[in-house]
Amino acid sequence: MMNGLLLGCTYTLIAIGFNLFFGALNVVHFSHGDVCILGAFVILILYSLAKFLGLLTTISPIVYVPVLILLAMTVTGFLGVFFERTVIKPFRYAPLLMVLVATVALGIVIREAVRLSFPHGSNPQIFPRVLPQKSFTLGGVLFRVDNLIIFGITLFLISSMFLFIKRTRMGAAIRAVSQDGEAAMMMGINMDRTVAATFLLGSAVGAVAGILIGAYNNIIRFDMGLMGGVKGFSAAVVGGLGNVYGAIIGGLILGFVETFAAAFIPGGTPYTDVFAFLVVIFFLIFRPSGILGEKVYEKV
Amino acid sequence: MDKKSIIKALFLVAIEIAFFILFVAFMLTHHTGKTVAFLLLFIFLGILFKNWEKARLALVGLFEEMKILAAVVFILMLLAVPFVFQSSPYLIHICVMAGLYAVLALGLNFQLGSTNVVNFATAASYGIGAYTSALLAVHYHLSFWPGIVIGGSVASLFGLLLGIPCMKTKDYYLSLVTIAFGLIVYILLINFSWTGGPNGIPNIPPPSILGHSFREPINLFGYNLPFQSNYFYLIFIFVIGALFVAYRLHHSRVGLTWNAIREDEIAARCQGIDVTWYKILAFCIDAFFGGVAGTVYAHYIGFISPENFAFIVSVVVVTMVILGGMDNVFGVVIGAILLTVLPEKFRAFEDLRLLIYGIIVVTMLMFRPQGLFPQKLRVYKRLK
Repeated sequence: MMNGLLLGCTYTLIAIGFNLFFGALNVVHFSHGDVCILGAFVILILYSLAKFLGLLTTISPIVYVPVLILLAMTVTGFLGVFFERTVIKPFRYAPLLMVLVATVALGIVIREAVRLSFPHGSNPQIFPRVLPQKSFTLGGVLFRVDNLIIFGITLFLISSMFLFIKRTRMGAAIRAVSQDGEAAMMMGINMDRTVAATFLLGSAVGAVAGILIGAYNNIIRFDMGLMGGVKGFSAAVVGGLGNVYGAIIGGLILGFVETFAAAFIPGGTPYTDVFAFLVVIFFLIFRPSGILGEKVYEKV
Repeated sequence: MDKKSIIKALFLVAIEIAFFILFVAFMLTHHTGKTVAFLLLFIFLGILFKNWEKARLALVGLFEEMKILAAVVFILMLLAVPFVFQSSPYLIHICVMAGLYAVLALGLNFQLGSTNVVNFATAASYGIGAYTSALLAVHYHLSFWPGIVIGGSVASLFGLLLGIPCMKTKDYYLSLVTIAFGLIVYILLINFSWTGGPNGIPNIPPPSILGHSFREPINLFGYNLPFQSNYFYLIFIFVIGALFVAYRLHHSRVGLTWNAIREDEIAARCQGIDVTWYKILAFCIDAFFGGVAGTVYAHYIGFISPENFAFIVSVVVVTMVILGGMDNVFGVVIGAILLTVLPEKFRAFEDLRLLIYGIIVVTMLMFRPQGLFPQKLRVYKRLK
């Protein structure tokens, strides 16, 4: 149960990025999963750097862990904006196929760059144990502290995202652009800046997903981004692409499907991904717009 | 035949032989610096060809005029490749792999190029074909020749299976379905015990013809050709066959229909085109090509494992189609050859291979989205 929730949390965080980008630009950023995993690698670098400088022994984990996460979020966010500017923006008025293939290729570039720039990059890298490894029982149920923290971080991030989108000026601009980009531009909204803000936000939130995956598995590998990206996109599709609430529902559904497949189907553990994808394909056939998505009518 | 046309014919043969010698010399260099020099020469020739209008028109006219002679000389030269490379089997191996990828790319071209369906499941049909034929050969001692047909057909069936959910979706969703399908096949191949799991299937018997096993060298005219030459000729026949099918399809009603769907699906439907049927057809043909290539691969290498059919293979094939020029049958083959040969030439940078693939795709899409050899619009002769 707890596992499903946690898995759902990471998928939700990735799916939020997909929904934001799709809302703003009508593109699916197929390398978003790799950007997320990039977040985990950024924190790996920062951690080793801090260790090298001897900061870890002098400062307590309660201080440096949030600082590291925030730093990694910022770096990954700006990397996301950079990728948007270099790879996605030139295709804004091009056929859809091109941006699709370009982002898949960008994913390979990111993955390979990560693999090459780390010593023994093809092997899994040990992820630092940033979260406390304690557990306690409450009412006969075992709780792990790190899992609770992961859950808390996700809740916090999602709620602050909603506040940002609903309450701030930039959030209003994002909503306007996702409704109708041209109309928003006529109202004096700076399209480029808004799109950049979406990518900053989406990639930063995605970085947390990458960090959570690393913290949960204790290892991180360069090619985890492919699976993460496909799952995140699947979650977004199941929930309804372009709808930020849908990301939560879709992410949780996928997380629970996988956990139940592992728990209740005999010998099902290696096939969890297969079940998840079958659910996605099922959704695409019978409800292509997702659970919360509005019905799409084709315009001629 | 007058004197002028004989001179012309000689000139044409000379040009082809000159190119062949250049190609052979390029393949035989192991020195990175020399390889780069050769590449620069090729690029220079390409630019010259593009900008020197008069020479280009003359050359194209010459080749048009003596189409049959040009084709015959070209095929003869290709048939001579194993003789030229007989001391270095590895080069023949590269040529075989280039041929396999050419078949895969030609298959994908029906979808990606002609119909604008971005299918990332090429590796899946490649793998299904390979595994079908390999399992039949290892467990039931089925020979290679029926294996090709069965492998291709089973892959085609799975293509149909994949095509059905794809018909309900489009654009990004369709690509998601194909990626998911490719990953499902990969995961299943790793986890099933009867496919050998992550260890794959070893000891796949080689094909044989008239008692001559393909794993034995060919002795011909006093030449001793390495065993890879068998497969070179085999894949040569397949590439020619695939090219023929692709070319004929492109110039038939079916190819035209696919292009119509690519340009505007709704308009195509309004013209009375059964879009679903033609898209499914593209899926099945693509999968068949993939399955056949997979079968040849399995029997050639003699060992297959899920790693050979990972997602990345699909992306590589997509890259080949885009680099060569979408919908251009010959361009796609050249793209496949380029992207197989070049990485082997730069083995020193083996690690960077995939990175370079990715960068090629992104830059090509930005600066030359139509590929190296864009497809020209069809020209129909005016009715008289």
